[in-house]
Amino acid sequence: MEYLQFIIIIIFSPLIQGLIKKLKANMQGRVGPGVLQPYYDLIRLLRKDMVVSRVTSWIFKATPYIVFASTVSAAMIIPIITTRSSFGMMGDVIAVIYLFAAGRFFMALAGLDAGTAFGGEGSSREMTVSILVEPMMMLSIFTAAISAGSTNVARIAETQNLFYSPPHILALSAFVVAVVAETGRIPVDNPDTHLELTMIHEGMLLEYSGRYLALMEWAHYMKQMLLFTLAADIFFPIGIDSGGAPALIAASFGIYLCKMFLMACAMALIESARVKLRFFQLPSLLGGAFVLAFLSLLTYIMIGK
Amino acid sequence: MKNWIEAFSVIDFISVGILLTAVAMNAFRRLESCVRTYTVNSWLLSSLIAIVAFMIGETHLYIAAALTLVTKGILLPVFLRRIVKQMKVTHDVEPYINNALSLTISGILVAVVYASLSVGIFVSGFSKNVLQISIAVILIGLFIMITRRKAITQVIGLLFMENGLFLAGFSLTFGMPTIIELGVLFDMLMGVIILGIFAIQIKRVFTSSDLDKLTILKG
Repeated sequence: MEYLQFIIIIIFSPLIQGLIKKLKANMQGRVGPGVLQPYYDLIRLLRKDMVVSRVTSWIFKATPYIVFASTVSAAMIIPIITTRSSFGMMGDVIAVIYLFAAGRFFMALAGLDAGTAFGGEGSSREMTVSILVEPMMMLSIFTAAISAGSTNVARIAETQNLFYSPPHILALSAFVVAVVAETGRIPVDNPDTHLELTMIHEGMLLEYSGRYLALMEWAHYMKQMLLFTLAADIFFPIGIDSGGAPALIAASFGIYLCKMFLMACAMALIESARVKLRFFQLPSLLGGAFVLAFLSLLTYIMIGK
Repeated sequence: MKNWIEAFSVIDFISVGILLTAVAMNAFRRLESCVRTYTVNSWLLSSLIAIVAFMIGETHLYIAAALTLVTKGILLPVFLRRIVKQMKVTHDVEPYINNALSLTISGILVAVVYASLSVGIFVSGFSKNVLQISIAVILIGLFIMITRRKAITQVIGLLFMENGLFLAGFSLTFGMPTIIELGVLFDMLMGVIILGIFAIQIKRVFTSSDLDKLTILKG
């Protein structure tokens, strides 16, 4: 059972994306596409022919598979409904972050590969943002990791207690900013359009079409759900199963879906309430969040809880 | 009630909040947000004193908390807001150091304070980290005074330093006698009023509230 839990991420990630879109549309007074729309998009894209530029190299063709595979491997490490996670004994939260980084590295290369202006722009911006986001994410996770005494996500999820202390709140708020930046959501990037000069994520995918685009999009949805799962595991692991009895796993699955729904609501709320920042204003947002993460670690060391 | 305060570590939350508002001050450029940050900082300070007064059952601390709330939480912010309105300046446009860097430096300041005070000092107060936080707030206030150009933001930096000093004294001695606290608060109030008048005069004479302009000779 625990070896198959990563399939949940693969199957449900487009649903989360559709849910966020729908909630966001409702909050803004629109009807919006149905919740299942991302599935239809993926199926449509998988059936279509691809157009691949003649000037591209093997990197362009390999990247969709590398990105998809690295995201699925990250899904295998993170505990989702039971802390006896699939391959958790082999990797920990640092491995998860660097699997994301590997995917991002190839995505940026592929953005440059076709030689279009927008691709290069997207890649350069993505790398700039990731330089700021990665250490912040690490620091905020380390606060939880120190209090659990392990960087293994399953151990962190098992040892978290209910009573929140200031370091946890600080780390959580830094982590939320990190998730927003990593999933390319509104204060950092606009996920709804690829017609903006300010695009980051969409800029890198501009040359992709058909099956490759489907894989890249799917990997992006999975990464988003994985980050939500990571947040749930680290900061509110209430209800996650650690034994392995079928009934408990079913309950844990229900609780997990509730958490994902709540996080989708939170994301839609953030996206509706904030405006997109100018790219050169991003360092002060991300730098602020970095200082939050840093302070969370410091206050953890001071208060020691 | 007392158990509840212990269990949810309310004192820790408030003291971390005091630190956080001081750090956040580095991120704000709009003068109104700066004043609001200071207001929140003062309210947190006064509520911390009130909660400690409740925990140890000292009545004179309630007076200190009320005085802090009235002067630092209400009178000074109202006065500062009025100065900001009179000066017709909304932003501290060109600080010496940009937002991200000054946030990072203030984070480093906090780390230095924690590192240097974690050993060798025995604090018999109500929480082991309030002294560190108060000294960090003092340094951050000093840092704000150094890096901002406008007279009014420098005054706010000074006020943060004063809040930090008050907290430091409070964490070491559980509050000074009420008469001394009254004197300090009155001093503070007068000082800020005079500084505010200075700021308005600087603005009128030099047609700018930028303190760098003060080095230019008028003849």
